Amino acid sequence: MSNEKKKRAINRLKTMYPLRNLIDEMYKRGVEASKIGKPTAWSMVNWWEADPILKAMDIEIVYPENYGAVCAAFGAAPAYLDRSDSDGFPTHMCGYARNCIGYTARMKDLGEIPPEAPMGGMAKPMLLLSSGSLCDARYKWFQALGRYLDAPVWTVEIPHPGVEESFREGAYESAINFMVKELGEFVTFLERLLAKKMDWDKLAEITDDIIKINRLWYEINELRKARPCPMHSRDFWSCMNASLYPAGDPKESLKLYQDMYQEVKDRVENKIGAVAEEKYRLAFAELPPWHDLKIFDELAERGWNFVIESWAYHPPKPIDTTQVSNPLERIAKETYQWFTGSFKGALKAKEYMGYFAYPYLEYARDYQCDGALLHPLLTCRTATNHLMLVQDRLLNRLKIPSLVAEGDIVDLKLFDHADTMRKAETFEEMMDHYRGVRREEGFEW
Amino acid sequence: MTEKERKGLDRVREIYQDRAHRAKELKAEGKQVMGYLCLYPVLEMLTALDLAPYRILGDMEEPITKADACLPTVVCPFIRSALDLGLKGKYDFLDGVVMAHICDVGEKTSHIWRTYLNPSYFYFIDTPHTVHKAAQQQFKEQLKDFKKTLESFTGRELSLDKLKQAIKTYNRQRALVRELYDLRKPDPPLISGAETLQVMVALMSIPVDEGIDLLRQVISEVKERKNGPPKKPARLLVWGSIIDNTALIQMIEELEANVVIDDTCVGSRAYFPNVEITDDPLDGLVYRYLVGLKCPRTFRESVFGETKKDYIKDLESRFGYIKDYAKEWNVNGVILQSVRYCDVHGYEVPGLRDYLDHIGLPNIYLEHDYSEAALAPLRTRAQAFLEVIG
Repeated sequence: MSNEKKKRAINRLKTMYPLRNLIDEMYKRGVEASKIGKPTAWSMVNWWEADPILKAMDIEIVYPENYGAVCAAFGAAPAYLDRSDSDGFPTHMCGYARNCIGYTARMKDLGEIPPEAPMGGMAKPMLLLSSGSLCDARYKWFQALGRYLDAPVWTVEIPHPGVEESFREGAYESAINFMVKELGEFVTFLERLLAKKMDWDKLAEITDDIIKINRLWYEINELRKARPCPMHSRDFWSCMNASLYPAGDPKESLKLYQDMYQEVKDRVENKIGAVAEEKYRLAFAELPPWHDLKIFDELAERGWNFVIESWAYHPPKPIDTTQVSNPLERIAKETYQWFTGSFKGALKAKEYMGYFAYPYLEYARDYQCDGALLHPLLTCRTATNHLMLVQDRLLNRLKIPSLVAEGDIVDLKLFDHADTMRKAETFEEMMDHYRGVRREEGFEW
Repeated sequence: MTEKERKGLDRVREIYQDRAHRAKELKAEGKQVMGYLCLYPVLEMLTALDLAPYRILGDMEEPITKADACLPTVVCPFIRSALDLGLKGKYDFLDGVVMAHICDVGEKTSHIWRTYLNPSYFYFIDTPHTVHKAAQQQFKEQLKDFKKTLESFTGRELSLDKLKQAIKTYNRQRALVRELYDLRKPDPPLISGAETLQVMVALMSIPVDEGIDLLRQVISEVKERKNGPPKKPARLLVWGSIIDNTALIQMIEELEANVVIDDTCVGSRAYFPNVEITDDPLDGLVYRYLVGLKCPRTFRESVFGETKKDYIKDLESRFGYIKDYAKEWNVNGVILQSVRYCDVHGYEVPGLRDYLDHIGLPNIYLEHDYSEAALAPLRTRAQAFLEVIG
């Protein structure tokens, strides 16, 4: 056996590492904040609707959804899932939620952060910030935590209009007005909770920084349209934290994304791909198997480059909100844009699931994909509902086949690594076949 | 006996067994039939424009085949069943469809329905998640737009007077449903849970004025008949996700129990809240449909903007009405039931059980997969529960 260290099949970005570290620091900061009596909140991912407000009020934010992935990766989740089950929560519920419920129940029993909790655990919150966006779990879960915590729950609203309805007269203004009013109520609530006033200048600055981060992050992902694609989905997932959550100091994150932009741009200019020989370009939907990310390295060895992924984790398509003076309105417009940014194209194409499903058609066309790997999740209906529609539309509209590999976000037992690799071999024949079909039908790739 | 001659419970059974029959007749007569999913589409607006609302339900007895190609098996089997029926053409008689954000799966299925079935008229109401004032205003703005699209579709104007008239008609029907439910308060109840469910399904399949006539007939018949349900030791409340087939209730009532009240959406949840007549009728409708409907899909705080959560107070604000039902209908046990993969009900279960324990009501949770075949093991559990409560 050669002692020579095997070269990794995915050429990871060097600038990814400091961005990835921000998530580790987030948990440490939460625990430290709690020790010194600083307010902490547990928050659902809220697509920048509540994060700037919480940050402007000096609240440390921890994201239990992310912590579910952390517990899965560290092998700590099964015990928490068991606890949730034994407390009577149905087993079909979201794996992240069950993990958090089990964790919280155990924290209540112990009166402190469970000693086995990965990455220092999540400190007891003074606020639970839930979100009406995308899935039922993301507000029902925090409501259910009332069994174990006396923290109040606030739910931020994001309208979910239909594609056609969103373009009706007054619909946009009404949605933004609704969000702004709700955010105003949220600020008032926080002022009462913390007995301090909002620093509106600080909020404006943080909002501006987060928008800049998202612009840059968007531009980085635009560079991935190049052949070969310079950045793999694994780097996307490792780096999204500073945008999506947004973990860390926004100014520091902005600097790190600037570094990343430069590295990706350099790769494009020098035709350096994320995998050595890019044979196939793929899209991935939705949440990856966090505990088995090494499968992407094995697929990369076969020349599979994942060039785009996980719609819900991406930043909004850019819109100009620089002239909007009210930071709450600016926040509302950006978040609403994240949700509805693909609706115009969807309406034109008469595809009525304008978020989650239609974006994959855009992605597949714009990033010239050969295939898609779809990952239905047993306990996450939100990330699964639309996948059959995606599969159907990709094949019938763009002649792009999909490989379906079932799994779960937390339960390790449900993802069959070996079977997925076996299917991958056959799937390459399908991708080759449909490449020919696309050429015959006049597609660009 | 011909269809026109059948009255009361006979007519109810007839509609229950072929619920599309009357809607198809109406369509043949030139009436437009509008399908709707769940409780959030505002029926008064449809009726005021002379449309016949028809609730889209599933069919527990029909294997899901076509929906397998559109919706994964890990989502709500009721929704999958409803979509399956649509894909099989069983809702082809509908002139249009109104759907709403009822839950995550319901919302996405609305768009999938539109994509694959392409109805002539389609509207999606984005029901807010909270009951805050701003949410009520947002809901109202949508109803204004919904009104415009309906007017455009029908070519008729929806006047305030017509809308107020429709509200009064629906309130009359709701009052009669209350009267019917009151007949379950005696011991033994005068009408069984399974019969009541058949009435509810029938009401959702025919125009409101016909439903009013039917309810009057049923109430009169039930009051006079001598062969009602027998007295049994258990008087149960059944809570949970949709039940649109009598199999589960029948299974329970074949044991030593009468189901005397429900909190489900083909039951009291759909009919108990009235609409207040307001100067702008949309205000009353907004309040009833967003705040009044007590479905766990909507997030509620015990006090708006509370800065400290009191668990029992929170449970009281969310489930206090169940205590009232239990008292009024003299309930001595609660069966919580839900179709598998229903998140909005699933998350409620431990909290509701805590509340029922707190008020001293024995309870059990049963989960099923919306098929008759899966009921057998539940029967054993239900039986054991009834033995516990005596």
